[in-house]
Amino acid sequence: MTQLLEITGLKKQFGGLTAVNDVSFSVGEGEIAALLGPNGSGKTTVLNMISGALSPTAGTIALAGERISHLAPHRIAHKGVSRTFQLVKILPSLTVAENVVAALAFRRDPLWGSRATERAHELLAEVGLAGRGGEHADDLTYIDQKRMELARALAAEPRLLLLDEWLSGLNPTELRVGIDLIVSLRDRGMTILLVEHIMEAVRALCSRAVVMNVGNKIAEGPTAEVLADPVVISAYLGEGHA
Amino acid sequence: MTRTIIGFVLVGLALLALAFMPTQLGAYGVGLLLGMTGYVTLASAWALFSGPTRYISLATVAFFGIGAYTVAVLSEAMPYPLVLVTAGLIGLGVALVVGLATLRLAGVYFVIFSFGLAELVRQLVTWYEVNVTGTLGRYIFLPISATEIYWQLLGLAAITLLIGWWISRSRIGLALKVIGDDETVAAHTGIDISRVKLALFAISATIITLVGAIQAPRWTYIEPAIVFNPTVSFLTVIMALLGGANRLWGPMLGAIPLFLLFEWLSANFPNHYSIILGLMFIAIVFIVPRGVVALAEDLFKRARRKEAAQ
Ligand SMILES: Nc1ncnc2c1ncn2[C@@H]1O[C@H](COP(=O)(O)OP(=O)(O)OP(=O)(O)O)[C@@H](O)[C@H]1O
Ligand SMILES: [Mg+2]
Repeated sequence: MTQLLEITGLKKQFGGLTAVNDVSFSVGEGEIAALLGPNGSGKTTVLNMISGALSPTAGTIALAGERISHLAPHRIAHKGVSRTFQLVKILPSLTVAENVVAALAFRRDPLWGSRATERAHELLAEVGLAGRGGEHADDLTYIDQKRMELARALAAEPRLLLLDEWLSGLNPTELRVGIDLIVSLRDRGMTILLVEHIMEAVRALCSRAVVMNVGNKIAEGPTAEVLADPVVISAYLGEGHA
Repeated sequence: MTRTIIGFVLVGLALLALAFMPTQLGAYGVGLLLGMTGYVTLASAWALFSGPTRYISLATVAFFGIGAYTVAVLSEAMPYPLVLVTAGLIGLGVALVVGLATLRLAGVYFVIFSFGLAELVRQLVTWYEVNVTGTLGRYIFLPISATEIYWQLLGLAAITLLIGWWISRSRIGLALKVIGDDETVAAHTGIDISRVKLALFAISATIITLVGAIQAPRWTYIEPAIVFNPTVSFLTVIMALLGGANRLWGPMLGAIPLFLLFEWLSANFPNHYSIILGLMFIAIVFIVPRGVVALAEDLFKRARRKEAAQ
């Protein structure tokens, strides 16, 4: 399998705090990989550096062999990286459809006008918001806002999709639908790196997992093996449980 | 579509009527009309950039003054239309340099910087005139009547509104809304935020420079204290904010009544003028922060909702 995302020696410091420390891993083309770890271990910070929201203190990130670290986020987006945010980010003054049109209008091969509107409605239908395009983004429930955010991320037809706890907060039925949706994205050839605390979803979706703890990578490998690793279990449950 | 056409026809008719107004007015009336149109253009141009980005720029008079000074320096050397083009290009050039250097600044620093810029340009021009040219003031002898100046300003005002209308319907208009809502999302959807802001700043500053250039012949004699008077910047901000910097017609609806009010105030209370100006500034920011047009829309919507509920 060829590697789509390659992260080498990645480091991020916030003042005196080292949030991510010398982390290296890669994600293969067409794979769903999990980035795991207890609260505050640096997962979101890694995604922020991949998408360009933060620039790394040290280390490199490459997409399909091309270095993207230190590019501005809009340039990284144009290289084919899309994401959702842990704390969902909507565009509150726009309608649901316009939220998606915004992403269509500024992607590498932009869509505009009626073609963009049509495509936005298709994308909304795909995430379970069929016919809701005219509503105000502000009026959506939290879960529907997350759906809209995914439609916005998909609008760019990314090669690499970053999901930061996108499944959390869903009820069991919704979780099932969410998992099926992510699988269908992979079947279309999309590569996905997801941060998730719901282990049921991680086991169902991810062939491989990377685990972090206080900024360091502590395990990497096939999901079942990694989750059985005593080091990982003790990191999640705290020392003394190992 | 038909509504757009009707809108354009109505605006066209209104412009025609406005263009004929000088024939019905005396010299004082034409002067008022000219000044008012100047401020409508300044406020509308200011709002092109500051409305969507929420950067409060106090650099208006820097560009306005640059326009006026370009005309004063070049009016003898080249034909008038070429002088205007040159002024516009200088304004554009300064805006691009200043924009590249400052648009990364956060809100309040930008306000201070933009005010500083106006003062800096004024001091530079003063220094140059005193030390190099040897005189402070300059005379502008151009055979351009007040009515002709008014017509030019009217044309520029129309172009400014047209640009505002076009932006609101274009991709750049959507980019501005997205940036206004959330810059992180904007960048992650592929919007080059600094470029969008720079483009808007440059368009806005070029129009403001042209207002200064077009109005210059009106003074006959100019010096830095006249054309770089910071009151111009403050008035522009207040007018645009009163009407609503995020609405196409907002700045105009703010500029007309405030221009007339300030004319009256400066004639009747010349000593308290700046205090009144300051108080109005505070009042507008606190009472109608989004402008009267947005306020009226809200009231209208609420009334309609109430009707629908009954
Ligand atoms: N912008 C920032 N400035 C300063 N510190 C930050 C910033 N972002 C994250 N941190 C710190 O970096 C550390 C890692 O945070 P991060 O959000 O990456 O963790 P996480 O693994 O995503 O946690 P969670 O599971 O709770 O989302 C935390 O200690 C956090 O407080
Ligand atoms: Mg996180």
